[in-house]
Amino acid sequence: MSLWVDKHRPRSLDDLHYHDGLSARLKALAASGDFPHMLFYGPSGAGKKTRIAGTLLELFGKGVEKLKIDQRVFLTPTKRKLDVNIVQSNYHIEITPSEVGNYDRVVIQEILKEIAQTQQVDLSAKQRFKVVVIHEADSLTRDAQAALRRTMEKYMSNMRLILCANSTSKLIAPIRSRCLLMRVAAPTAEEMQTVLDHVAKREGFSIPEDTVKLIAQDANGNLRKALLVLEALKMQNPDLQASALHIAKPDWETYCYKVADMIIQEQSPARVMEVRAKLYELLSHCIPPSIVLKTIADRVVEQVDEALKADIMHWAAIYEARMRVGNKKIFHLEAWVVKVMSLYKHFFFSFDMEADFDDF
Amino acid sequence: MAQGKLKAPKTHGGDIRGFFAKGSSQTASSSSQPASNGSRQTNGRAQGSPIEISDDEQPRKPIPHKTAAQSKPTPKPTPAAKPSTSKLKSERAMEIDDDDKVPVSAPLKRKAKVVVSSDDEAEVKVSPPKKKQATSPATSSKPRANTSTAKADTEGKTSKHFKEEATPRKTASPRKTASPRKTAASTSARKKKTKDDDFIASSEEEDDDDDFVVDDDDDEIVKKGKGKGHASVKKAPAKSTSAKSTPARSAAKAKAEKKPAKTEEKKPAKTEEKPAKAEDKSEDKPAKKPNWYAMKARAGPSNPGSKEIPIPSDPNCLAGLSFVFTGELSSLSRDEAIELAKRYGGRVVGQPSTKTSFVVVGSDAGPSKLKAIEKNKLKTLDEDGFLNLIATRETDMSTLDEKTRKKIEKEQAAIRQSAKEMEQREKQVAKETAASGAAAKPAAANQLWTDRYAPQTLKEICGNKTNIERLQAWLGDWDSSLKSHFKKPGKDGMNVFRAVMITGPPGIGKTTSAHLCAKLAGFTPVELNASDARSKKLVENSTNIMNTSLDGWMTGGHATNAAGVAITDKSCLIMDEVDGMSAGDRGGIGALTALIKKTRIPIICIANDRGAQKLKPLIAVTYNMTFRRPEAQAIRSRIMSILYKEKMKIPSNVVDQLVQGAQSDIRQVLNMLSTWRLSSSTMDFDEGKAMVKMNEKYSVMTPFGVLNKMLGPQMFSPSSRETLGDKIELYFHDPSFVPLFMQENYLKTTPSRIRNADGPEKTLKHLELMDKAARSISDGDIVDSLIHGPNQYWSLMPLHAVCSTVRPASYLYGMGPGYGGPNAMSFPQWLGQNSKQTKLNRQLTDVQARMRLKVSGDKSEIRRSYIPSLFPHIVQPLMDKGASAVDETIEFMDEYFLTREDWDTIVELGVGDNADTHVLKKISTATKTSFTKKYNSRDHPVAFHKAEALGKVPKKLAAAGPAPDLEEAFDVDDEVPEAEEEKEESDENPENDSLIKAAKSKGKAAAKGKAGKAAPAAKGKAAKKG
Repeated sequence: MSLWVDKHRPRSLDDLHYHDGLSARLKALAASGDFPHMLFYGPSGAGKKTRIAGTLLELFGKGVEKLKIDQRVFLTPTKRKLDVNIVQSNYHIEITPSEVGNYDRVVIQEILKEIAQTQQVDLSAKQRFKVVVIHEADSLTRDAQAALRRTMEKYMSNMRLILCANSTSKLIAPIRSRCLLMRVAAPTAEEMQTVLDHVAKREGFSIPEDTVKLIAQDANGNLRKALLVLEALKMQNPDLQASALHIAKPDWETYCYKVADMIIQEQSPARVMEVRAKLYELLSHCIPPSIVLKTIADRVVEQVDEALKADIMHWAAIYEARMRVGNKKIFHLEAWVVKVMSLYKHFFFSFDMEADFDDF
Repeated sequence: MAQGKLKAPKTHGGDIRGFFAKGSSQTASSSSQPASNGSRQTNGRAQGSPIEISDDEQPRKPIPHKTAAQSKPTPKPTPAAKPSTSKLKSERAMEIDDDDKVPVSAPLKRKAKVVVSSDDEAEVKVSPPKKKQATSPATSSKPRANTSTAKADTEGKTSKHFKEEATPRKTASPRKTASPRKTAASTSARKKKTKDDDFIASSEEEDDDDDFVVDDDDDEIVKKGKGKGHASVKKAPAKSTSAKSTPARSAAKAKAEKKPAKTEEKKPAKTEEKPAKAEDKSEDKPAKKPNWYAMKARAGPSNPGSKEIPIPSDPNCLAGLSFVFTGELSSLSRDEAIELAKRYGGRVVGQPSTKTSFVVVGSDAGPSKLKAIEKNKLKTLDEDGFLNLIATRETDMSTLDEKTRKKIEKEQAAIRQSAKEMEQREKQVAKETAASGAAAKPAAANQLWTDRYAPQTLKEICGNKTNIERLQAWLGDWDSSLKSHFKKPGKDGMNVFRAVMITGPPGIGKTTSAHLCAKLAGFTPVELNASDARSKKLVENSTNIMNTSLDGWMTGGHATNAAGVAITDKSCLIMDEVDGMSAGDRGGIGALTALIKKTRIPIICIANDRGAQKLKPLIAVTYNMTFRRPEAQAIRSRIMSILYKEKMKIPSNVVDQLVQGAQSDIRQVLNMLSTWRLSSSTMDFDEGKAMVKMNEKYSVMTPFGVLNKMLGPQMFSPSSRETLGDKIELYFHDPSFVPLFMQENYLKTTPSRIRNADGPEKTLKHLELMDKAARSISDGDIVDSLIHGPNQYWSLMPLHAVCSTVRPASYLYGMGPGYGGPNAMSFPQWLGQNSKQTKLNRQLTDVQARMRLKVSGDKSEIRRSYIPSLFPHIVQPLMDKGASAVDETIEFMDEYFLTREDWDTIVELGVGDNADTHVLKKISTATKTSFTKKYNSRDHPVAFHKAEALGKVPKKLAAAGPAPDLEEAFDVDDEVPEAEEEKEESDENPENDSLIKAAKSKGKAAAKGKAGKAAPAAKGKAAKKG
């Protein structure tokens, strides 16, 4: 009854459909006995975690599939309680330190030390070390990353780290240099089509060629999204004819489009305030701000004149960068919205904005 | 002749104003400037450098002018334009060279003067030709001009060119000239506007090449005007303000000049009659609907500091006069003007009445005040007149009228009298102490002034007379009220209360009054204040009023309470500073309330803030008496007598200033003076001002107040005198909230910077300003993240102030929230939204943790992909099919280990069409309840148990510092034995054994308590032995 994405997730490296070279290398590494720290990176929906799970399976055997979730409570010096969820088997442990925000450093230190200081007691275990998987490694604070550095070398005998991130750009260089980098690229359209066909076959139906293409195109390299869409479409429209299909966008995406349209329709202070309310709505419902900015910017760019596109993206990039440094994301989002409105209006009246451009 | 002349100006004035359609006073004024100031060589020149000119002329010129005016009565009704330009030029040049000479063009000049009905101290305001032209065109637009003072500034700029054009082209009909001018001006103005800000600095240079001014070519003028006009406005402004552009103003001026002249003998009699018509006009004007917003937004003096403030021969030259200020003066800000009046002994009142000596009228005078002037036939002054008055008036007792003199004498007599009384009393006290031989009390000279001059009789208490009388009556009636069990309300309804609560600001004599009243009513005051512990226990025990009778005290004789005073039935308990009962005095208020309900002696509670939350219970059981700040007048005489006694010579206006600065806090004034006495026995106005400044009470503004000020039209207007430091200071009133308020509200203004733009240009400019402001706010956030980041660069706070608050405001200041704009100021949404986000984020984390076993995605992936995909499986069916879909929904949820709460979270996380409000509306209550019921009735797979549910003890994270401090470690060791000891003892007690379930938990608790007490006691002994 679970969703197809989860139902048909490959369990081992052998079941994977694409990036065969990568799978082979992972297999070899697991067999070699000299397993390094690793950093898996790539866009979401490319199969990073599936590959990590496969690698672990390869390393330790079936035992790693016996997962349990454990919740640990930590008390900060300021008496705040932090809940940390830990997924673990006998051989490995997975943590998501970004759950605890700014306290990630202490949590990492605490947990890693604990694991590093206990040797593997199970004599029948295939490996002498345990593996720690750190999810969302790119949202680790700088302090936490710095805390990792020494640990990674010191406890090498007892522990290996597998970091999982979307991009390496937010990891400090010392960490990157200590890891074997594993890039898991997004699948190509063809690769996705084979996976979609495979799933359809397992589910006992077949998809028309056009539909597969349509879905693959819409998913834009995100296999998870593609499979979810496929299932949704199958529910709506069992025969899956491409002509009758309408791929429903997720709620937040439609909402972002609405915001983009609002920006194009009118440029005034009152409109900015309306947009602000909508942005707040998106942010408070846990849509990451950079995704919001990206989605809106894409949509805006679609609708404006060629001459403006570059500028709008330029400013989107600038404000996205600022957003990462800053605390209150909405300030930067709004600044971008105002900028776009100003650009658009100026273009509308064919005014020259050059002078304004350079003074940033 | 005078009549005719005077009439003319009135129309002119109006017309000029109208002519510059939107323009206001400044337009005309600025135009008038060159001529009037005897500007350098040309019009243009003149505009550039108004300041020096005015200074020169004011003092020197009057006489020659006047004579000229009188000697040459016949004005040229229509001055020839062309000759006039040249003449004017030369004339001006000459004037500058030596003011005293009657220039060649004297007639013209004179005429101009006459036209405006200016006299000696006023300069010739307008060159005649200009006037002429201006005359007819614009009557229609008068009202507008009236409304938009704010616009005056910019308009002034345009007017400049206009003048230049207008002068030469005499021949054209006024209408004709007017319209082209307007268009030209408006376009140029707009262009100029955009560059305004940059130009200010460069205005100086611009002045040098001004000779072209007389050029007839429109275009050129316009072009040059761009740069120059600007400069001139910025610089010349003040001058011009005073010029009479508004009809009301001119009229007022005419009057003003005349009246002072008449009243003050010094001035030579004038031949001018009252400009009756002008006056009429001034009356009409206000009748038109005043624009309050415009007035509120008044931009301040147009040319601050342009006029020299004269130094009078007699420092008390305004003594006995009372002033009312209305409208905006050109050179002085209102505050300065008021200060000036006070400095020289004048009195400043808010509303004109028959007793007002002068009304100083500026531009945009309040209509009600003008009416009052008319009604009471008050004398009016304009700014120049006011300054002149200061410069020339001399007061000695003889010039004051009889009444004032008597009044002053009487006051002084009273002062002397009371000083004498004080002296006598002190002597007596000294005698008594000497007689008793004990130095019980310190000699008067060693006492604080506040003690030494504390009021000894009710008469001496300043202000709050009725309250004090009531208090006295209540105390007087105490016995009878007690007898009647507080059933008879008495005259003020006070006698049903057993306690009185006095509230009011500090230093106005609350405690003093309470003590004095109690003493005078025959009670012995017993004071408990914040320096005494007043916890529940202590209030109950130490005051010992809780005893139903006071017999214990009576018979016990010398038993005393915390205050060290025996309580008798003639005691009066004064609980001072009850709002200061805080952490240490737990339960104190409650105990006091209980006490008040039973007390047999009067209780007086004193507090500062009536509204305080913790005083709520007290308010209900006490009679509330609010003390107000006494008026400055009431305090003044008291202070003056003290000063007299101390042989200090401080004029009353300085005392007034001190009192006002201290906000009627008598104690503070006395303290200030006693400090001052150590070094000097006199104090002049400036010293007083400095003193007040030094002792200023720093009041924290609310973010609303800060924003009002920040985004308001004044703060960044060109005439504003706030420095960057002052603006930053505003941010520091509440550095955490002000930026949020700014971000919330910065778009709600109508920026002053785009006041003059129109159409698309306005929109564009507005967007541009918004963009700049938003960018600056974004900068601010980055700075903020540095401040609150791991490195905590607190030194960046001022930068944050600028980026987050000052700079955005500098772009978008103007009328807006708080200034009657369409949008009210609102509380920042950010706070609410942020906490909502945090909450939902936490819930999402839970959802992700549960789904984790099944799903590989991280949190944001769950939100972005899974929740929309789960929606049709677990929410949609309930919406569509209702209760019948409950089973399948629950099944699906179990697959992902989702709980009922997680279902709520998923619904709550939806936006747009999936928003929870939408969704929940479509699910009937019946469905929801059956869903909940069914879910709760079944067993569900559980991914994990919450740590708290399992009773796990949280693990303490080490603090950021690596190793614990040595001292800390020591402390911990020290504590251990004690705990063990306690444990041992309690272990001995069978009742504490967890295996033996004690039936009576009460006994157990008691035992434990004992054990706990015993342990430290034993320890204490051991320590002593050691």
